[in-house]
Amino acid sequence: MCDFMARYAVWLFGSGSTCIRLEKNLQRIAAAAGVEVEITVLPRHIHLTVREPADGDTVTTIASIRPLPVSYDLITRLSRLSWDIADGSLPCDRADTELDNIISSARSDIPGLPLLVGAANASFCRLFGGDAIAMGVVFVATVAGFILKQMLAERHTDPRIIVIACSFVSAVLAAADGLFGLGATPAVAIGSSVLYLVPGIPFINSFSDMIDGHYICAFGRMMQAVVITCCLSAGLCFGMFLMNIGMF
Amino acid sequence: MDFFVHFFQDALFAAIAAIGFAAISRPPRQAYLWCALIAAVGHSTRFLLMQALSPGMHIVIATTLASFVIGILAVLISPKAHVPAETCLFPSLLPMIPGMYAYRTFGGLAMCLFGSTEQSFSHSFFLFANNGLTCFFILLGMAVGATVPIFLFPDISFRATRS
Repeated sequence: MCDFMARYAVWLFGSGSTCIRLEKNLQRIAAAAGVEVEITVLPRHIHLTVREPADGDTVTTIASIRPLPVSYDLITRLSRLSWDIADGSLPCDRADTELDNIISSARSDIPGLPLLVGAANASFCRLFGGDAIAMGVVFVATVAGFILKQMLAERHTDPRIIVIACSFVSAVLAAADGLFGLGATPAVAIGSSVLYLVPGIPFINSFSDMIDGHYICAFGRMMQAVVITCCLSAGLCFGMFLMNIGMF
Repeated sequence: MDFFVHFFQDALFAAIAAIGFAAISRPPRQAYLWCALIAAVGHSTRFLLMQALSPGMHIVIATTLASFVIGILAVLISPKAHVPAETCLFPSLLPMIPGMYAYRTFGGLAMCLFGSTEQSFSHSFFLFANNGLTCFFILLGMAVGATVPIFLFPDISFRATRS
């Protein structure tokens, strides 16, 4: 049971769940199995102790967190699994196989995702006051950067290198707006061209953990997000330096 | 008339941005439409608070209130969509991320480093601190405003996936 819960925890947490959800889901499963569970979330590991109240046996495991991309599909299905166990519709001994099923059928990126993200970033540019030309430039820069991101992720490149490379490419492409005098809002174009790389979900998760009192985990997530943001700025600054554009 | 055109444009582009950014974090299919709807309502709430009132509300307070609206909506909708509250909530917040403030913060910082005279340094430092503070408090307001409803209604938020 402890092994199952540890595996469940690293997958749920790795997909980008908040600490409060992790705790609630694990306690739900534990209650159904008639055991007690205590967890500590460390920056790269989850420390899990399971105690059987009947004979007082305790088992402790420390499992490494899987660095997965954020997937709300996985979080939704793993949460449903915990309810199925708690409501008794899924016996505990079959939970392990069901977890394998969920993990092996995890959805990958939908086709056409770069175009969707491009459209989203172009709309974002519009919300910040960019004109139609800036939106077009941002669309192209985002699609190119995002395709590069997917290609590098397939080769298991370090996420920090990916962000530096993608923000550099997007910034250089978006610089076209100002360099060729196409539109009236070149600063908005170049500023919003890299925003698809901002780690928004880790930032929000970090604040959620902070409100919940999981300060170590909150700090860990915050540092991760800050490092990614610094990489993003490094790529952006280098791109602008190369294109010889001032910031304002 | 002009105001209404701006208002609906704001909602529409917020919805498109929410769908695209939500897609990066791989939500279940039924969540896309809800994300778009909640983001549109949230962003137009902020638009109204900042533009329709006179004098307009400060961006930090307006964002916090709009995030709170988004949070309440997401918590109420999540049992209907059978997804955890965060699935609808966090992607819907993304259109409000203060991207241009963050950009100007880093721009100011870079110019501080390369500025040579005291005057140019002071100006860059002002840009850095002014934009940085606004950016930080918008983010904080967003996160607090949106997560408070989850903690207020834990019974709804954590039962949504029960079949």
